Amino acid sequence: MQVKIVITTIAFMLTMIIFGYASIREPARMETFTNAYEGRRIEWGGDIFHGNCATCHGEHGKAELCYDAEGEQIGCAGLALNNRELLCGERTPRMEAMGWLGTKEAFIGGTITAGRPWANMPTWGSDFGGSLQPYEVGYVTAYVLNWEDEELCAGPPPEPVIWPSTVPDLIAETAAGDAVNGEQLYNVAYGCAACHGDPVVDGSNAVGPWAGNFQNLDEVRVAGYTAADYMYESILEPSDYISPDCPAGPCAGPPSSMPANFGLRMSFQDMVDIMAFLNVDVSSSSGAEIVPPPAE
Amino acid sequence: MATLFDEIRELGVKQALIAKADDVVERVTAGMNINDIRGMLRGDEPRRPNPRLRPHADSFWLHIRPSFYHAEVTHIYPTFRLGWLSTFMFIWETITGIFLMIFYTPSPDVAFENMWEIMSNVPLGQLMRDMHRLGAEVMVLAVALHMLRTYITGSYKKPRQFTWLTGMLLLVFTLVLSFSGYLLPWDQLAYWAVTVAVSAAESHPGPAFIGKNVNLLLRGAPVIGAGGLLRFYLLHVLLLPLLTGIFIFVHYYKVVIHGHSLPPGREAIGEDTAKRVPKDERVYFLPDIMTSEMMWTALTTLGLVGGSVFFYHAVIESHADSLVTPLHVVAPWYLSWSQGWLKWIFPNPLSAFAGPLEFDSKVVVAFGIIPLLAVAFFIWPYIEVGRSRRYADRRAGLSLSMFFITFMLMSNWMGSPEFLVQATSELEVSQRLMPQEGHSILLEVPYDEWDVGTYIADEATVQAMVNAGNLHIAEALEVYIKALEDWSCTKTGHHGMADCVGYDTENGERYTNGVKDEVLVDPYAAIVIKQDQSNVRTITIEIKVDDEEDPRDFYYTRYRHEEAAYEIY
Ligand code: HEC
Ligand code: HEC
Ligand code: HEM
Repeated sequence: MQVKIVITTIAFMLTMIIFGYASIREPARMETFTNAYEGRRIEWGGDIFHGNCATCHGEHGKAELCYDAEGEQIGCAGLALNNRELLCGERTPRMEAMGWLGTKEAFIGGTITAGRPWANMPTWGSDFGGSLQPYEVGYVTAYVLNWEDEELCAGPPPEPVIWPSTVPDLIAETAAGDAVNGEQLYNVAYGCAACHGDPVVDGSNAVGPWAGNFQNLDEVRVAGYTAADYMYESILEPSDYISPDCPAGPCAGPPSSMPANFGLRMSFQDMVDIMAFLNVDVSSSSGAEIVPPPAE
Repeated sequence: MATLFDEIRELGVKQALIAKADDVVERVTAGMNINDIRGMLRGDEPRRPNPRLRPHADSFWLHIRPSFYHAEVTHIYPTFRLGWLSTFMFIWETITGIFLMIFYTPSPDVAFENMWEIMSNVPLGQLMRDMHRLGAEVMVLAVALHMLRTYITGSYKKPRQFTWLTGMLLLVFTLVLSFSGYLLPWDQLAYWAVTVAVSAAESHPGPAFIGKNVNLLLRGAPVIGAGGLLRFYLLHVLLLPLLTGIFIFVHYYKVVIHGHSLPPGREAIGEDTAKRVPKDERVYFLPDIMTSEMMWTALTTLGLVGGSVFFYHAVIESHADSLVTPLHVVAPWYLSWSQGWLKWIFPNPLSAFAGPLEFDSKVVVAFGIIPLLAVAFFIWPYIEVGRSRRYADRRAGLSLSMFFITFMLMSNWMGSPEFLVQATSELEVSQRLMPQEGHSILLEVPYDEWDVGTYIADEATVQAMVNAGNLHIAEALEVYIKALEDWSCTKTGHHGMADCVGYDTENGERYTNGVKDEVLVDPYAAIVIKQDQSNVRTITIEIKVDDEEDPRDFYYTRYRHEEAAYEIY
């Protein structure tokens, strides 16, 4: 019996020593697991992003390299998410611009859940009829947030982009329009062709007015606007004036069914390149003020 | 009755407190004071009347334990301590389970996250989870082995038939307890194993509304969701532990009533002398059996704690998803046999006259074989009424048990995906390296060992990796090459692959390597690593065959975060 009590005591002490050992390494182990869980959430998010979001937001979230289900390259309908305005810092410029008061994670998670149906960002959260469960929205949010890194956020924050207020101001900041590049932008990168058709084939427009007519709009839609002034405003603020010329009669709106975010997506040079491709004469501007100058 | 103050006045503080303590100990032990306990542990003879018998008469806990055992049943043989171990495991599971309960909410919204929080945010949480999960497996094993030993020693025979019957109930409870716990982490494997098992209810041959309603009752909705999870949780933490606890008491009570059966050779055939223990062969529960149970408790605890800290780690897969079925859904090992049976074919001997050519295996297994077997087991002691418990007289019965065990082990193997399930060859190869769920040799390669680029699955790359010290990659490539050899054939005399033998199908010519069909012809196979985010890479398994008859072009990609730490378990 004594032997049994001795064995019991030794076994008990050994158990306590193992518990002690486990407790000592516990903080480090817990940290490894915390990071592992975060890492896996990001991995699962990567899967979801590439299965659902990359066709609009691009392979690397830069709104470049978008492909349709058949693997054909198409224009990216979404904004760049791998983007310092959206991601860098606690309160990012995008959150400011949208007047968001909560956290960055909630801003992105909320946007994904609810979508912005008015701006072609689908609703994803299953709560609102979308296809992603809340936990999946959490994963893909973690993945989007993981683009924030030193390289992306290096240097001082960029100035928010403010478009020049008139067409002459615009061409003062750009080189001459490049119609060849404009053609690529019109057909692929921004996908204008899907709605406005081929500018040399009348009637090829599927959704919006035919693009072959854009060069003829001097003083047609808005008094005091040349074709260039009108096009500049139509691209930046599609809802300001709704065209009467859609394939099935007058266009719907406002709001216009043309995406309203080209101003966030394109560079100044892209704007003049597209106009050059569509033969819109940028030099004949009336100088009308299209974009209000920033408030002092 | 004198109050403590009176006694202090009379005896002084020290003596009065000692007397009081003695009194308390005697009450708590229902009959033994401090001196009795010390004497007992020292190995002294008990005083008369023997105070060590009183707890068996007066206390709740000991009244279901015998006050003495026959010396013959106190050795390792014949019990192997397996009944005790089953009880111990039940208590062990209860304690570790309560710890886990504190941090777990049975809701699909948070259950999976809770599991990760237990492992990442609760001190010793992973250890508790591992101990609970390891305990569950040990318990199933202990109960099954205990059953086997009572069978082999013929202890189920008269008068212990009812003990066996309550034991069978306990076996069923144990299995269902384990299985109901399986769903709770709400990961893919859990979810699908349970979904598949529960769907068996739907296949029963009676009127459709029965299966539908049984299914609905178990799942709580057409698919397992919040309702189903809550039901399984309540089964797991409330109903089944309660039933098991109650029946352990019944079972123990029967054991006390009949005494432990002696080793079969020790008594005359047909006699049961367990309760007639000669004075000189008695071993008293207090102190001998108790200290030996304490010793086994300490040793088993040491084993389980050490095992969980150093060897056994419960895995967690990805979040349950009712829309995505993982490729190979496997039942836990203790139920894998049933999955094996589902793969059998049951021809209808009367098909010439009526009925289908073969029966639905789900129906036959879930509503034929399993219930019949269960009934046979329950009533076995009432059927097999041979008087002798001796091994020499029970050759047929003992052979039957050995045959049955072999049969179950084989069924278990048939339950594994190795047997008779085959997806496309390229998918099978990729599953070996990077299964949709479960351990993956590719994901376990440390992040830093990879360079962005292409690793071709051939011996030259393996050699280069070994030379560069990238042993994990080398090991993964070896597995890759081995898998390719299993699922490919060669037309060009590729080393290690069998020659292709063609056969015709409706889709044109296909090839076999003698073991598998529709295998890959001289595949090009590689692993491609790309940088996705600054700390995330993609690992792609790429397999291409440019054979004219049967070309393939296969990619399977997983993401790998720098800190995802697949090597931690
Ligand atoms: C049909 C194309 C499309 C798909 C698919 C799509 N988005 Fe978007 N997304 C958009 C558009 C367009 C916007 C810009 C809305 C606007 O202008 O306010 C946007 C905006 C966003 C924004 C806010 C960006 C900002 O700067 O305000 C986030 C975050 C976002 N998407 C995430 C996702 C995620 C995650 C997915 C996949 C689950 C996804 N999107 C799928 C089109 C899409
Ligand atoms: C989703 C379809 C769609 C896309 C993509 C699209 N638009 Fe539009 N666009 C419309 C619709 C619909 C209208 C008419 C409603 C309105 O006036 O806002 C319109 C109107 C216009 C107008 C005014 C035409 C008129 O006759 O008044 C111009 C100019 C224009 N779009 C240019 C572009 C350019 C350039 C692009 C690519 C950068 C583009 N659009 C992309 C749908 C689209
Ligand atoms: C949770 C499950 C179980 C527990 C906790 C348990 C516990 C025990 C204990 C403590 C004993 C005392 C003797 C010994 O240790 O062997 C015992 C005896 C016995 N058990 Fe179990 N048991 C369980 C399951 C089973 C099963 C599945 C069977 C068989 C179907 C079974 C049949 C018996 C029989 C016949 C005896 C009498 C043995 C004898 O007198 O030698 N028990 N059980």
